[in-house]
Amino acid sequence: MTTIPPLLELRGISKSFTGVQALDDVSLQLFPGEVHMLLGENGAGKSTLMKVLCGAHTADAGEFFHKGQPVTIAGPADAQRLGIAVIFQEFTLVPYLSVAQNIFLGREPRGRLPGTVDHGLMRKQARAIMDQLGMTLDPGTAVATLGVAQQQMVEIAKALSQDARILVLDEPTAALSDNETDKLFRMIGKLKSQGVAMAYISHRMAEVFSMGERITVLRDGKKVGSRMPHETTPDELVSLMVGRKVDMSYAREFCKSPGPVALRMRGVSARSGIRGIDLEVRAGEIVGLAGLVGSGRTEVARAIFGADPVESGSIEIFGQRQSGGPAQARRLGAALIPESRKTQGLALIRSVGQNLMLASLPRLFPRGWYSPASAATLANELIERLRIATPGPDRRVGVLSGGNQQKVVIGKWLAAQSKLFVFDEPTRGIDVGAKAEIFALIDSLVKKGAAVLMISSELPEIVNVCDRTYVMREGCVAGHLTRTEMSEEAILTLGMHHA
Amino acid sequence: MRDLTLDTPSGDGMRDLMHRLRRSGSASGALVMLAGLCVLFGLLAPNFLATSNLVNVALQSTILLLIALPMTLIIMTEGLDLSVGAVLTLANVVLATIAVKTGGVGLSLLSALAIGAVFGLLNGTLVARLGIPPFVATLGTLGVAQGMALVVTDGQSVVGIPESVQMLYSGALLGVPLPICIAVIAYLAFHVVLYHTRFGACVFALGGNREALSLAGVRMRWYLVAVYLISGLMAGLAALLLTARISAGHPTAALGIEFDAIAAVAVGGTSFERGKGWLLGTLIGVLAVGVLRNGLNLMGVSSAVQVAAIGFLVILALTIDALRERNV
Repeated sequence: MTTIPPLLELRGISKSFTGVQALDDVSLQLFPGEVHMLLGENGAGKSTLMKVLCGAHTADAGEFFHKGQPVTIAGPADAQRLGIAVIFQEFTLVPYLSVAQNIFLGREPRGRLPGTVDHGLMRKQARAIMDQLGMTLDPGTAVATLGVAQQQMVEIAKALSQDARILVLDEPTAALSDNETDKLFRMIGKLKSQGVAMAYISHRMAEVFSMGERITVLRDGKKVGSRMPHETTPDELVSLMVGRKVDMSYAREFCKSPGPVALRMRGVSARSGIRGIDLEVRAGEIVGLAGLVGSGRTEVARAIFGADPVESGSIEIFGQRQSGGPAQARRLGAALIPESRKTQGLALIRSVGQNLMLASLPRLFPRGWYSPASAATLANELIERLRIATPGPDRRVGVLSGGNQQKVVIGKWLAAQSKLFVFDEPTRGIDVGAKAEIFALIDSLVKKGAAVLMISSELPEIVNVCDRTYVMREGCVAGHLTRTEMSEEAILTLGMHHA
Repeated sequence: MRDLTLDTPSGDGMRDLMHRLRRSGSASGALVMLAGLCVLFGLLAPNFLATSNLVNVALQSTILLLIALPMTLIIMTEGLDLSVGAVLTLANVVLATIAVKTGGVGLSLLSALAIGAVFGLLNGTLVARLGIPPFVATLGTLGVAQGMALVVTDGQSVVGIPESVQMLYSGALLGVPLPICIAVIAYLAFHVVLYHTRFGACVFALGGNREALSLAGVRMRWYLVAVYLISGLMAGLAALLLTARISAGHPTAALGIEFDAIAAVAVGGTSFERGKGWLLGTLIGVLAVGVLRNGLNLMGVSSAVQVAAIGFLVILALTIDALRERNV
């Protein structure tokens, strides 16, 4: 299609983190004036690739070529010198400085007096860059007053002010409305015409085909295919993304006759971004909540627990309306096993025993007096029942393995006599052996009549463990799959953003 | 009201004020509160609106302003300086002692600034280099400075301050009282530093997004140390006005002024998060605290009750802000 050499070429890039091969022999070419779309499931290696490009991580193996010349990217300074800029999903803007000040932060044009800034010149230069991007914003506006889309534009302007010729965009439309997305696309069009090369990570099929000149799919750290948009279809891309054989088996007996309704959400919307959520979980069931990162799964969990205020709709836990905060959810029998175990689920410097009783203090000590005897009884009972590998209840939780820490979190809620468990990524950071044990534990919970809602990014986990699953997309429930309908392809098709 | 605008730097400042008020809506609560207090005391307190009293309020607010300006910068970096009152006190007794011995301003002011610089650098190093939380670090230096003030004076007042020092409080330049001249210059200097220098942009970024700073290759620790250093130096400068005002060195002279300063900054709409700050808001906050204390004095209310009133003022200001945020 083109004979010009690529602006940046990656050959055989590999990167591993303590035993996990995050990138395995990945090659990629970025051409001037082209958008190269990167697709892949969560954990396919897109973020690692991006971090290697901006110099935040150093590749273990592989070569970079800039306009055909071999170069090294050993740190952020190298990347900057090559004109590579990354627009992360988390912005690096200072809220109470103006747009112009943010664009030139640390590189302000000097004023007449030493140390001073020439605001006039800075605004003029900012204006020039913004004009180039078609931004009509006043450069003196404080960033704190801008919407997400405008902040993103400011990030891009900042990158261009550093003469970036290679732009890496990480799901730039994830937080944008349709209108804002149009604006961003027009800007990307302008950049293309100026010969900027772009790598664009996306989860939306529509934009993959409308914006991309090339498409590359990553899976498990490997490049599994590169296509031109006209020679492929969304279905082919999805099958490339899933590809792998199902190699994990979690044998369990699926639920044939679910019990009474444990959780019922009707039309729940919250300011956190979820809209019109309808779902039901019955006793004895493990129900999955699948979807891409950022599709609103965690927000559903937080809404159930009253951690985020609900704007409309109703949530019932065991037939009782949940309208209060986490304390009420706990009283109604709900338990949340959060995604970030270490910051939200455990007090790491406290002992196993102390963590185990955290959620059941009123029940254990109804008169408010601490009783070492009942605390010890509870702790020993749970350590035995969950087979937590610890020398005793006095051991600090922080020194246990990930799997055992997770067991302590679960134990904490068992002690509180919870009957509805919401797991948010229950196997994150847990090794393979311990995963099976955690699933066996979850299975034993539902066998005893508990209800489980399980959020997971690992599609095989959802497919193999859950009795049925909901799939979320952009803050809504995009669909529901029964045991027989469930497959990784079906989940991904529902969860991806089609036109 | 005419005299209250005395400390507002210029027409430019007023335009800036109106512009910012319209744009952000923040700290307009402080202005409303200041106006409300003036009306209240105008009605309740005898002679409150007399020109001589209003000049008095402005005069009495100058020392607090010198402390509250750097406090604004520190709070914008999500920090705190609890030690300023004690450092100011220590500088006061040392300055007084040296002034009594030498009879002049020069050396005594230098020694006060040196004390401020040492404590400022110490605070900055503890916070920026060692990563000690500002609350704890400056609580420690508060104790050190306070203890030293008591040791140096043996718990006694230092009296016999030379006329040349006292003149700094009672004197005037072109009819404007000297302390007000100093306060105006200090305010303008802070305005230039915060809004027109790279350093100022870094102060915003230190509280707003430190990652943005480090990605931009800025040596941010250096700047953080500088912010605390400025606070110490300003405490040294304030010691000069304080000594001139009370004509003495006293080992508990400025104890607790950090409370008034933090209150003024908070009333002025500077936030403890995300680097949101506003110098003009601090000026309004300082005047509000000054008016409150003066008005209550005129009404014969004890200073213990005044502290409670200032606390109430802070809570009221922050409640208004919180309610407005929620309605946005």
